[in-house]
Amino acid sequence: MELKEDQPQNGSGPAADVPPLRRIVVESETVPIRVGDYAGPPDPNYGREPWQVGAGSEGEPVWVEERMRTEDLSIAYGDKRAVKDVTIEVNSGEVLALIGPSGCGKTTLLRSLNRLVELTPAAKRTGRIILDDQSVDDFDVTQLRSRVGMLFQQPNPFPMSIFDNVAYGLRERGSKKPRKKILEPIVVDALERAGLWDEVSSNLSHPALALSGGQQQRLCIARSLAVSPEVLLLDEPCSALDPISTSIIEDTIVELKSEVAIVIVTHNLQQAARIADRVAFMYLGDMVEQGAAGQVFGAPREERTQDYVGGGFG
Amino acid sequence: MEAASFNEVDLQEQTLEVDRTDRRVELLLGALASTILLLIAGMILFVFVKALPSFTHNGLAWFGSGGSVDEQLMNIFNSPAEPENYVYHLRAWPLLYATILITGVAVLISVVFSVLSGIFIVEFAPERLRQTIEPVVKLLAAVPSVIYGLIGILVVVPFVAEHLISEARKESVAYVIQLDGTSILVGVFILTIMICPIMIAIIVDALRAVPEKWVEGAAALGVNRWRAMRTVSLRAIRPAIVAALVLATARALGEAIMLSMVAGSVGFAPNPLDGFTFFLEPARPLASTIVDNAEGLSVAPFGQTMYAFAAILLISSAFLSFAGWAARKSFSRYTLGGR
Repeated sequence: MELKEDQPQNGSGPAADVPPLRRIVVESETVPIRVGDYAGPPDPNYGREPWQVGAGSEGEPVWVEERMRTEDLSIAYGDKRAVKDVTIEVNSGEVLALIGPSGCGKTTLLRSLNRLVELTPAAKRTGRIILDDQSVDDFDVTQLRSRVGMLFQQPNPFPMSIFDNVAYGLRERGSKKPRKKILEPIVVDALERAGLWDEVSSNLSHPALALSGGQQQRLCIARSLAVSPEVLLLDEPCSALDPISTSIIEDTIVELKSEVAIVIVTHNLQQAARIADRVAFMYLGDMVEQGAAGQVFGAPREERTQDYVGGGFG
Repeated sequence: MEAASFNEVDLQEQTLEVDRTDRRVELLLGALASTILLLIAGMILFVFVKALPSFTHNGLAWFGSGGSVDEQLMNIFNSPAEPENYVYHLRAWPLLYATILITGVAVLISVVFSVLSGIFIVEFAPERLRQTIEPVVKLLAAVPSVIYGLIGILVVVPFVAEHLISEARKESVAYVIQLDGTSILVGVFILTIMICPIMIAIIVDALRAVPEKWVEGAAALGVNRWRAMRTVSLRAIRPAIVAALVLATARALGEAIMLSMVAGSVGFAPNPLDGFTFFLEPARPLASTIVDNAEGLSVAPFGQTMYAFAAILLISSAFLSFAGWAARKSFSRYTLGGR
């Protein structure tokens, strides 16, 4: 609520033709203060670890900017606290991996970011989740979820044609269904970005469920991308897939990170090491440690982190 | 080495034994299945052969209208004993019309009501309510139709006669038909109550079988619960809705006792031009006609006429099954292997 007073008066968020503004929000008891709206061209390496420079898909530097943030976020299912006082940032231009043993609250944290956790009746939340300087509670849930897309453990295309799957989000979010002519370029673009276009371009009317598991998961990526999200939440997207499909999906994720902020929950530490720029380790609901991937895996500060990643990396 | 070869021999023998048992079971089941098929084929053939004279004497006019169908049936019943003097003259339209009208309207109302109740039970009902409704619905699906008929004739018909049929209304159609409360309105009403539970039970089971991940996927795209239900779950269960529709229509088509009790049991074709009175006019579908005239079957031409009604019902249900199969096939095009 306090943050709202800090909004620019002319509209919501930065204008599209100006490079994204860096907002430094200083947390304090009172109103947060924003320092400097625009100070010359953005420094792509601002706030990054030295090893992160040039981490883009084609070796170009990637502009890292905060998209989402949680502040002292706790989530409880009845009496059981699944996530305890977690404060974490989600930045565009990088992949954030949430790691930790089963039942440590990673998935709950992930599902709280698009308020999907509210589907569980007993879930209660304290603390704040902020998307582009605005609490997620201020968004209409429809709008929030089209800005924060999600991919699940099991590929879950709908029992429709490939085209209808990708167009689903666009068709169903408004009251008026757009024409196929308008949808088509968006669908094609989403399929291209998800790396599926070449395989399905000739059979868009075929049933989506006839695709292989890996193709289905990429179709789900395309379905999320079609509504142009700013953040993409991936809940162990490769756990049901074979190694080849996994590596294709990992490549897709790395390619996407320059346009979409990506958070991935994974049990596979090698996967986290391969694709993540920043890693957060959770244990029993606590955010134990977060930092650059190289640091968390190479030189963990916490003993618990060391014990966990040590198991995977010797 | 030796032990291994012993095992091999044993295994082979076991496999042979299993094969023999399998083959016996296969033969037995195959024989049973073919017997049932033969019985059905025989029954259909028998009915059609028996029904043939009624159709051949009337030609296509059998399906038309003309005169009072009850009078015609009476004449057939009273035909002279010599086969060459048998009376077959029949214009069955009022009976066909009543069958189509009562079944059609009841099924249409039921399908809408059942889909909505199914959604409510699965998606929106509080747990305690759901635990009460579901067993009750399944129980209702098994209630014998004569009980519905009894309640209909003891409660609903008098109510309709008392509250909906005024003297003026009675007089307005007195020259063609007498209004006493037994009517297509009561028939459709009770038939709807009768077939809804079957449809609800099937739809609830189907909705529950819709993978949670589809609903979640829709929610994650920002689609609200009701819309996700409509665009994903309901789409996915269309084959089950068709199956429910076929089953309910078959039950409605074949419903004889209850309808003969509450729908008036008069071979009359209600006239839609009568306005609301139309719903209060009596009618009698084919199945009820057969039941009501069961005692006259020993009169040869009369029996053949009843077989003709049965043949029409058989054709309708066969056509219904085929249409249902075709619809299910086209609807499950996208669900293949998706469950």
